[in-house]
Amino acid sequence: MEIMRLVVTGPVGAGKSTFIRSVSEIEVVDTDRRATDETLMLKKRTTVAFDFGRLQFGPEMALHLYGTPGQSRFDFMWDILIRKAHAYILLVAAHRPHEFRSARRILGFMKQRSQIPMIIGLTHTDCPGAWDAENIAIALGYLDANRCPPIITVNPNQSASVAEAVIALVQHSMQGCLV
Amino acid sequence: MAISTEKLSGILQNFVTSTNDVQGAAVVTPDGLPLATSLPGAMDEERVSAMSAAMLSLGERIGNELARGTIDRIYVEGNQGYGVLTSCGEDAVFLVLANQSAKQGLLMLEIKRALTELKLVLM
Repeated sequence: MEIMRLVVTGPVGAGKSTFIRSVSEIEVVDTDRRATDETLMLKKRTTVAFDFGRLQFGPEMALHLYGTPGQSRFDFMWDILIRKAHAYILLVAAHRPHEFRSARRILGFMKQRSQIPMIIGLTHTDCPGAWDAENIAIALGYLDANRCPPIITVNPNQSASVAEAVIALVQHSMQGCLV
Repeated sequence: MAISTEKLSGILQNFVTSTNDVQGAAVVTPDGLPLATSLPGAMDEERVSAMSAAMLSLGERIGNELARGTIDRIYVEGNQGYGVLTSCGEDAVFLVLANQSAKQGLLMLEIKRALTELKLVLM
């Protein structure tokens, strides 16, 4: 049995924990704690170590999903998780443009440590004020569309949508393209 | 009543200076933000706070999942000393850093005492 480790990262409230909960076959190992910082504006609880979920992917492969905390004070967890990962997805809430900078920071952090395949998942695309994919790509620093990693839309609340995103990520990493 | 950070800092400073072999201490929120710290100069309080929260939450989760019951403390022992984490009521986590010559029994007792003091201020 082959194990593939996927990391789900992104700014606070992008939907990382929900993403993993929607698709994991085991009860998710979460490390939620009551939020006391600006996170409170978005939600009551926040991940402080990591989320862990598991998904059987065909007879020969198991996916291990690790969700990172969103706040940069937990960047030591980003570091621990990305070093062992085979691929990652960066979730970005399309309707909160002020968080694109934090997404870009996470991206920079990951790229510095790891050249593994990655895709971008846009969440909250149905919310008012959501940006479209091209503009978000530019906001994240991908000025040249040809060098941009795949961008998909995902609803972390729907397991079918999350499954599609996971498949897209696995396929992308199998192609071995280092975008 | 508002939490007095001055009192918290006072207790921590007193704890660190008066307890043998203790090098630093911090009281942080369960989501990893500093409330009060008295740490060795080179340590960043934001980082220490986030690490404390991550370690305690993971430890508690392990205790729960592997049927170890309620967690009293998380203990990291290295060749240069100890890091001990205890929950300090619902709203705080207490971290103590001690050097390798610390006597464990004494250290635990001192931590227990400090916790009682801290909880009074945090209530």
